[in-house]
Order: sequence, then structure tokens, then C-alpha cells
Amino acid sequence: MQRGSRRRFLAAAGGLAAAVALPSTAAAQATRTPFNDMPDVIRRLVGSAQINPGKVKLGLPPLVENGHLVPLTVSVESPMTEAAHVKAIHVLTEKNPLPEVASFHLGARAGRASVAARIRLADTQTVVAIAELSDGSFWSDSTHVIVTLAACLEEL
Amino acid sequence: MADARIDVPATAKPGEIIEIRTLVRHPMETGFRRTQLGALVPRDIITRLVCTYNGIEVFRAELHPAIAANPFIAFSTIAVESGTIAFTWTGDNGYSVTASAAITVG
Amino acid sequence: MNSDNPNLSRRFFIIGSAAVGSGLALGLNIPFGPGIVRAADGSPEVTAWVVIRPDDTVVIRIARSEMGQGTLTGLAQMVAEELECDWSKVTTEYPTPGQSVARKRVWGNFSTGGSRGIRDSHDYVRRGGAAARTMLIQAAAEAWRVPAAECSAANSVITHQPSGRTTTFGKVAEAASRITPPKDVALKDPKDWKIIGKPVRRLDTLDKLTGKQVYCADLKLPGMLNATIKECPVFGGKVKSFDAAKVAGMKGVKKVVQVGDTAVAVVADTWWQAKTALDALPIVWDEGENAKVSSASIAEILKAGLDAPQAFIGNQNGDAKAAIAGAAKKVEAVYAYPYLNHATMEPMNATARYTADRCEVWCPTQNGEAAFAVTLAASGLPADKCEVYKIHLGGGFGRRGAFHDYVTQAVRIAKQMPGIPVKLLWTREEDMAQGRYHPVTQCKLVGAFDAGNNLTGLHMRISGQSILAAVRPQALQNGRDPAQFQGVAPSGEFEFGYGVPNLLIDHAMRNPHVPPGFWRGVNINQNAIYIECFMDELAQAAGQDPLEFRRKLMGKHPKHLAVLNAVAEKAGWGKPAPQGVFRGLAQMKAFNSFVAACAEISVSGGNKVTVHRIVCATDPGYAVNRAQIERQIGGSFVYGLSALFEQECTVKNGRIEQQNFNDYSSMRIAQMPKVEAIIMPSGGFWGGVGEPTICVAAPAVLNAYFAATGKRIRSFPLKNHGITMV
Repeated sequence: MQRGSRRRFLAAAGGLAAAVALPSTAAAQATRTPFNDMPDVIRRLVGSAQINPGKVKLGLPPLVENGHLVPLTVSVESPMTEAAHVKAIHVLTEKNPLPEVASFHLGARAGRASVAARIRLADTQTVVAIAELSDGSFWSDSTHVIVTLAACLEEL
Repeated sequence: MADARIDVPATAKPGEIIEIRTLVRHPMETGFRRTQLGALVPRDIITRLVCTYNGIEVFRAELHPAIAANPFIAFSTIAVESGTIAFTWTGDNGYSVTASAAITVG
Repeated sequence: MNSDNPNLSRRFFIIGSAAVGSGLALGLNIPFGPGIVRAADGSPEVTAWVVIRPDDTVVIRIARSEMGQGTLTGLAQMVAEELECDWSKVTTEYPTPGQSVARKRVWGNFSTGGSRGIRDSHDYVRRGGAAARTMLIQAAAEAWRVPAAECSAANSVITHQPSGRTTTFGKVAEAASRITPPKDVALKDPKDWKIIGKPVRRLDTLDKLTGKQVYCADLKLPGMLNATIKECPVFGGKVKSFDAAKVAGMKGVKKVVQVGDTAVAVVADTWWQAKTALDALPIVWDEGENAKVSSASIAEILKAGLDAPQAFIGNQNGDAKAAIAGAAKKVEAVYAYPYLNHATMEPMNATARYTADRCEVWCPTQNGEAAFAVTLAASGLPADKCEVYKIHLGGGFGRRGAFHDYVTQAVRIAKQMPGIPVKLLWTREEDMAQGRYHPVTQCKLVGAFDAGNNLTGLHMRISGQSILAAVRPQALQNGRDPAQFQGVAPSGEFEFGYGVPNLLIDHAMRNPHVPPGFWRGVNINQNAIYIECFMDELAQAAGQDPLEFRRKLMGKHPKHLAVLNAVAEKAGWGKPAPQGVFRGLAQMKAFNSFVAACAEISVSGGNKVTVHRIVCATDPGYAVNRAQIERQIGGSFVYGLSALFEQECTVKNGRIEQQNFNDYSSMRIAQMPKVEAIIMPSGGFWGGVGEPTICVAAPAVLNAYFAATGKRIRSFPLKNHGITMV
């Protein structure tokens, strides 16, 4: 992943950097594993649309021991009618070997935009949830999770 | 545990939003793990869960290696009518598992 | 403040000192919105690092864990140095991990291990002290309407230099706490340190000596029940069935519960009642495949790894295999190192109280945040409904940093008895059976010489268990475990101290089913024996003095050489030793410190070893408390020599055989050698103290044993060879 392309992406996506609390560019690139291209994947999902902070609530514990089994909940404020509903919720991570975790496709029949799952986190990092609404808008939330085993074995 | 376990209410009122919980046994081998001799263990994951309600898709999850082993997915759907809520998990190496539950709405 | 946690901000939790003694966190009253954070007695925080009472007592917050290694005192010294407070009025407290989460980890990392407690924190804790001092001075200056630059602080007294006016920290703390902490602070030059570097008395010792210190194993809470547990002794096995009816009527028994898939616990009024019932409880285990494994079967697998074609390379230059193939003379040896248990004096334990609204845990832990993470997972409750209270550990040594199995168990038991505090305390037998063991390895070393007796090549093949593969596979590098090469790595904190023209150090990973963990020193224990004993074997084959042989290879490793020379000189290497006394040397770089030892021993009857003295040198960069470093050196030798002479964990029918201190013994005070410590910090870097020195005692003694008897011992413990310490 080229450094330049990430900065171009941030400019194009407008509110992404504000909406999604990504770590500082230099730190992120210093620690990013070779495969993880979270900004690129986000761009593919979202196109040139703005990602707005809000409506989405991502629930994760602030601390996990080893990251093998992390309970996740994500919900989106939406009337979930035919006219106005959540089409999909995408969950991504910044430091796993791959950025994608899951995409949940909902629709008006869901009644409530609320999903729970169990995920893996390879390291202390930020997890992002992006909701795609039926009106074409995108909304997001992010949470930082500390993996205590990673913190304790920083440099063995 | 049987291969798949689903938790769907047997009855519901029309229009009620019901919670559905699913659990399926699967190692979700990420493809990033190595054996003690250094060989890469190939990826072997469930990639998709589809839920249909009397044949109509009401929920779909696309899954990646970051989903933990023995995937647990919970979601909701509106109890529109009596019938069958069916689940299909598919994945690498031809993996395919189905389960279903009857629901009485009224 | 954090309005997402209304419960936490309203909560005002106090544990009376009569119940649990010192070192326990006091509750904090964290107000809604911006405001001063106050301790339970109303005294204000001046930065999150210190609370200052009107009587000038300073309470310093310590995030790391005290387990006898003196980190609590060392960290307090560093804060106090910059704070310029009266050291005689310093006390400490542990902030809780719940408070840490609520306050966005204002105290940083809680993890205490890897000999990192001081060296990872020193910068920011000093800055915390400096910021608090700046705020206190500013408060005084504002009250006096004078420039802060004209004021200075010392011993909790602030003086306005030109006028001589003074006030104390206690008097201005309230005003100081309202000042915004400065973003940048300058730290003192180390040459101006008044408290750091001084051998001040530890802050925790007195309570431990007088019995006032309450450990978690001693904890008594109102309405508390006691539990003990048995997990399937064959690792990987499960509970098949148990017959609770057989013990339900026994005195004091309240409940028999399954804990997860793998363990059964009895809860009773007293611990002894719980243990008696658990001993009588019929349990059927589904032991699984691993029931077939034994020490012999493990050794077979490891032995095959010594010559296996595939291995992960840890350090390499030139072509060692070619050098060996073309050698005029070869020296070869195979060593083996056993499983070891931490055997902390305080067995594993945790106390938990669970309701649907709150889960609280009291436990010994080297990482309060990890204990908290485990509490969240086991309780299923959100962070603002959980809390962990940390109390000084009765020994850690690495058993209680990365592993909190006992916390998970305690919470799971407490969940089955909501509202009741349940103290889970393992028996010693359970502690021996359910360790996280120092991993088992063997090592084959081959050295190549040319016709002139110069070392031309060295191949060190380690075969055995990787801790990271089991505990943190994400840390492996394309399958390779970098920690396997501690002490023999190409660079960094564990850099190999010799320049060998054709070098290959590699690892055939073989992971048995026994769960590995971080035993004090981790992999330097076996690597130091492997390389430092083999260096002596090479020296002998070349007809050279062990010190001279090493020196020739250390031209590019001046700091390794400096500590080696220091011990050699102090011990009188090269000069005749007293009659019957023989010497041995060892050196290594570990956890970023350079360490070396020279042991002096006598041997009678060929197998009774008296270790008279060990001269030890360490260069940890900076020395925060020299007295404490000396004690750490001595303590590390107790741990390391006990292992060398007495300890191993053997496997039979898939389980660990050793049960208690009768078959897993430790050295006694009468056997303790005189330890002469040379603390030689060379500055410019921060090295660890808790672990590095542990690795040099054993090889130094083994090399001295060879000098005394002409015998090389290559497998351990020594008692297996009929050799005892007297």
C-alpha cells in the first residue's frame, strides 16, 4: 500500500478522518501490517460518498486479554421502513492481517438494525463499523480496543 | 455441540421483532497460521450465512477470517407470517450446512 | 469527566485498611464534568500521578505490580524525584483498571513483566512528577503574586528565593489541582538526582515483615465463602462427570459446581472444608489423547528435532555448516533443559463477587488490566459494571502476567452464587499441576576449529517448545519465534555477545501439549547454560583459559566484555583460588542489561557442592535503587540455583508428576552463597533488573563444577545426577 494513495483517499472521502478516529498517519504506517489496507477497502465500499459520524453504535469491550474471542455488537438508529432502512453494516479493523471482518446485509424486514458477533483482534487497534443506508448515505462509529497480552509482550 | 445451533422463538405476534441467534461449529482457519515446521495452514472459513423467511432472504452475513472460531451471529427479523426460517452456511472447500426452524405467527 | 460511566463517577468505594492493609487502592470520587478528582478523604489530585494531603503526605499512583521486585518503590522514587517532595511522607496506591479505562489509561500500561516496569515507565512517571511540581509552584507563586521562576521546591516546601517566604505542598495542593497541567516539562539531569540512585528502603517491606500486609490469599470479606478447584490434570482433557451427591452432606459444603468444560470446584464455609470435600468428590475425566504423553515421549520428539532438516533461523552469518564440514577439529555436545513451575509462595487465587449489576474481583496480578479484561469476558458485564482490586502479589515470576485462568474460574464460580463473595484458592497440588511451565528444550552445539585452534564456526540448534506459539501466535514471524533466541540474537535487547565468523543459531519448533509460560528470565535460562557451558567446552578443546577464549571473541562487544572482566577481576580470576575452590564464568545480554557472574565452589565426594560465592556484575544503563538491584541479583540466584540443583516438572500419563515442595524443592538459606554485586550502569540506555542476572548463576556454577571434577553436566536438575547443594 503506497503512502501517497492513502492521503489522496482521505482527501476524497472528506469526513472520513473526522468520522473515524484513525491514528496519526505516521504511526499507522509504521505499525500497519503489509496486507491491511483498511482505507482502500473503505473506499471500495463507500465510493466517493462522505462518511458521517453518528447513528451507528459499535459495542466492544475496552480491554481484551488475547483477542481470540471478542464479543461485538453493532446497532444503527433507523426507522427500518421500506423508505428508510439500513442496507448493510460493514465491520473493519486497522491492524488485523486483513481489514474486513464482516458485512451484514439487512433491509426493512430486519425490524431493527442490530447485529452481534464474535470477532478476532490480532493486536491493540481501532475497529470501525460503517452503515450503508437506503438513501445512499454512510455513517460510522469506531472503538479502540486494547489487547492486554499484546501490550505485555511488546518486545520479547 | 451439533454442527449448527439456532435460537428462533417458536411463536410470535404479527409484526413483532424477533431475535435470532445462530452458532455453528467451525475452526475458521484464518490462513495466516503456520505449523511448527513453518508451513502455512491454508484458509478454511465459513464465508457466508444466509437466512431466509419462507424463501425470502431477510439477512445475509459475509464473513472473513477475523470472525472468531465457532461463529456466533445474532440479528433480528420481523415476524411477518407463520412458516419456516431457514439458515444456510457456506464456505471454503465446499462447506455447506443448513438448519431451519418453524415459527407460528398469530 | 467521563459521562458514559455514571456508575463509576458516583461510586465511592472504600476498603478499610483494617481489612486488607496497605497497598490497596482507595476509591476515587470522579465528578461529572470538569472538576478536581479527589481521593476518598477529599484530598485533591495534582495530576493523576499524585494526591497531596493537607499534612503533606504524598500518595503516588503506581500502575505496575509489586511482587517483591521493588518496582513499587523504584517508580515512587522517580515520581518523587521530580516532584521534589519529602520522601519520608511518601505512600503509594494502585489505581484500579476500571479507573484506568474510565480515565483513558492516564497511568499507562499496567503490565509488569519482561523486566520492563522501570524502563518502560521512567520517562512518563518522571514527567508526571515534574508536572505536579510545576503546578504546585505555580499555585504558590500565584498566591504570593510573584513569578514562578523565582520559586523552587524541595522536600515538599516551596520557597520564594528572593524573599525567603515558604509554604508547603499540603497548603497549596487545592489551588494547584485547579491548574491545567503543563504540556512540556523538563526533566532533571541524572547527575542531579537526589532520590533516584539512592538505596532507599522499600515502601512495602515493613508491612510484609510485621504481618500487616494482607495478600489476596489472606483476604476476608464479609459473608465470603471459600472455594477450591480441580482442573483436568491432563492438559486438553475435560470433565466427563462428577458425583456431587457424595459430598453434598459434608460439613460446610455449600455447592459443587462445574467450571467451564474442564474443572470442578467445591464452595464451602471454610477453605479446609472445601478442600476436604473436593478430595472426596468422585470426578471422571475425559482425558483425551494427551494422556499418552510422557517425558520420554517428549524427549524423543525433541531429540529428533536436533537433526531435523527444517528449522527457523535466529542468528546467522557466514556459512557455519561449511565451516564445520571443513573443520580441522570439531566439538559437539547435546544439552537438555526441563519444564519448570513458577511455584509462587502464594498459590493461584482470586476472590469474586458477581451480581447482574456488578462484578468485582480481588486478585494478585502482574497486569491489572489483563485481570480486568478477563473479568469482563467471564462476567459478560460491561466495563463500567466491573472492577478489579489489585493487592501485592506473593510472588509473580511470570505466572500472573499473561495468565489469569484463576480469575476466569473465580468469576465463573461467583456467577453461580450471585451476591456472595467467593474466594477461590488453589491447593499447592493444583498449583503444581496447572502451571504455565518454563518450556522444555534440548540443544545441540557444534563448534569448528582450524588447525591453529581458532574457532571458525558454531552451530547452535535448539529443539523444543515455543511459548509464543501457544500464548501469542500473532507475535510469530512467518512461524518463527523470536523469543527463542533470547541471549543469542543478532542485535537488540538480547544480543549475542560473541563474534563468530560462521554462525548459525536455529530452532526446530516442537510444541508438546504441556502449556508453556514465561518463567523468570524466559528463554535466557536455558540459552545461557547452552552457550556459556559450551563456550567452556570449546575453550577446553582449544587448550585455552575460558576467560581468554571468550575475550578473543568479544572485541566487538565491549559492554558484554566489561561486565565479564569486572567479575573476573573481582573474583581474582587468573590468580590461584584457595585450596579446593574452583571458579566458573558466564555472561549474557538480556532484557537490555549486560550481566556476568563468576562462581566459586567446592565439591566433596564428587557430588556435594558448596557454592561459596558468586561475584555478579550488571550494567542496566541506569541504577534507580542500588540496594534493590543487589537484592534482585541475590533473589534471582535463589530462583536460578534452586532450579539448577532441585527442580524439574516431569510428565507421565499426560500430566505433571510433581505435587508439592517435597518433590519440587528449593534451596535453603544455609546453602545460599555470598553474593558480591558489581552494579556498573554505563548510562545512555535503560536495561531491566528483575530477570537478567538469573541466567548467569547456573552456567557459572556448572563451569566451576567442571573445573573441580572434570565432568560436564548437560541435563538438569543436578539432583538427577546425584549432585546436591550443601
